[in-house]
Amino acid sequence: MANGGWKIARSRSGAQLPLALLAALAIALILIGKAQSNLFDRARANVTDWAAPAIQVVQTPLGGIDRWIGSIGEIFAVYKENLKLKEENARLRQWQNAAVVLDTRVKRYQLLLHAVPDPSLSSVMARVIGRSNRPFLQTMILDAGKAQGVKPGQGVIDARGMIGRIFLAGDHTAWVILLTDLNSRIPVVIEPGNIQAIMAGDNSSAPQIDLLSQNVVLRPGMQVVSSGDGGLLPPGLAIGSVIADPSGGSRVVLLADPASSEDVNIVDFKQKAELPPSVSPSDLPATAAGLPPAAPPPPLPIPGTAPGTAPAPAVTQAAPPSAAKPSVPKPDTVPAPAADSGNE
Amino acid sequence: MERMGSLMSGRIFSSTIPVLLGVLGALIANFPVSFLGNLVPPPLLSFMPLYFWAIVRPDLMTPFWAFMLGLLEDFLSGGPPGVWAASYLAAYAFVDSQRDMLAGLSGVGALVGFGVAALTACASAYVIVDIYYWRLQPLAPSMAELAITVIEYIAAVFALGAIHRRVVGPLRSDF
Repeated sequence: MANGGWKIARSRSGAQLPLALLAALAIALILIGKAQSNLFDRARANVTDWAAPAIQVVQTPLGGIDRWIGSIGEIFAVYKENLKLKEENARLRQWQNAAVVLDTRVKRYQLLLHAVPDPSLSSVMARVIGRSNRPFLQTMILDAGKAQGVKPGQGVIDARGMIGRIFLAGDHTAWVILLTDLNSRIPVVIEPGNIQAIMAGDNSSAPQIDLLSQNVVLRPGMQVVSSGDGGLLPPGLAIGSVIADPSGGSRVVLLADPASSEDVNIVDFKQKAELPPSVSPSDLPATAAGLPPAAPPPPLPIPGTAPGTAPAPAVTQAAPPSAAKPSVPKPDTVPAPAADSGNE
Repeated sequence: MERMGSLMSGRIFSSTIPVLLGVLGALIANFPVSFLGNLVPPPLLSFMPLYFWAIVRPDLMTPFWAFMLGLLEDFLSGGPPGVWAASYLAAYAFVDSQRDMLAGLSGVGALVGFGVAALTACASAYVIVDIYYWRLQPLAPSMAELAITVIEYIAAVFALGAIHRRVVGPLRSDF
């Protein structure tokens, strides 16, 4: 390790002036980069597009080693983890039953109210071909780019929750800035309570929560989802749960684990979303059971009118034109929700 | 005449080796594939040849090449431009000013010398990024990067020494 094993050049580089000049140039570059943040981006995207096949070739054999080394710490906790997962699975099955019941009820309410169903988000599925874990930057590279309709700003999710958003899109590759990255700041809602906040990454594994209101107290375990404010990300993307920060404030434990994600969805919020099939009258329990629709309730007398005169149906007038289609039943032809809710 | 030509081409080749190794180090370190489960950040592989040849052959590793290697590191890592360029220049200025002392170190001392130079680079990057984002960064990732860089230098210095003795050193004539 000694440096004395070979002859050392005695002359100094004599480069004090170039050093100063280059230092000034470097500072100028930093300032330009701050003002014009996409200075390198186009070139980076091109290089990534060009290197993508090589990255994929190398990723395949190294991916296994990477996962194996990444899971070394977990080997010692497998038994405990298994018990915890079994318990959690049982609890989730109960929640699944509750979700199915609630989904049916929501469908019926939507039908009663002529509500427009929530659109299902269109998305592009992509494979993670690279990860970068630098001290000041945490990114991921995907094998989908502009050619697949990927654009900067779109949210990236995996099966568990949100991972980050696209910040650079090449023709066939895209860079994702992770939620934990220093540059990541997204508007979120904390439930229950519909508390508005900003979730800011700081390169640690749990991003910080900056509350927009001072008169709010967060409790560990509260759920964090995207708020959709600003129209950048769709509302309701699952992100994580709140934990207390030992140094004060609150942080978010993310549901998704970017280190182990392999296939992700890039959510296109701006593109016209594909609507799910609308709720049909056959979804109603009475119709599904082959029963005739319930008789309409008798009109309520309005004070000041004659008992035999029926008032104009206000609900029908307020409904959108599409609701007036003959296939959609009128609100007064379906059974009252309170009558069925007891069965669920 | 033929011998002169081959000597010239040999010298040109040898003079590019330190920079080429720096470029190779930047490419390897920033290749977006991890095989350590992202447990630690990649080492500053491009800094190792920079430090080594800034001491033993500063004519082959000039401030310009330190700047260019830093810029390449910025470009490949995806960070803001100029951060590592300025940091490598800060480390180069330290090495240039303490060159005689650093060149005389051996064993653990040589490793400490490299550690101080790498600390200069990492600390400079840390301060620049703090100012750039106007926010204090977590210190742990930078410390992990410094630690992994110093540990890997133990193996790298033998390889760099061998390359210097066998390829770069014999072809020099001006020292």
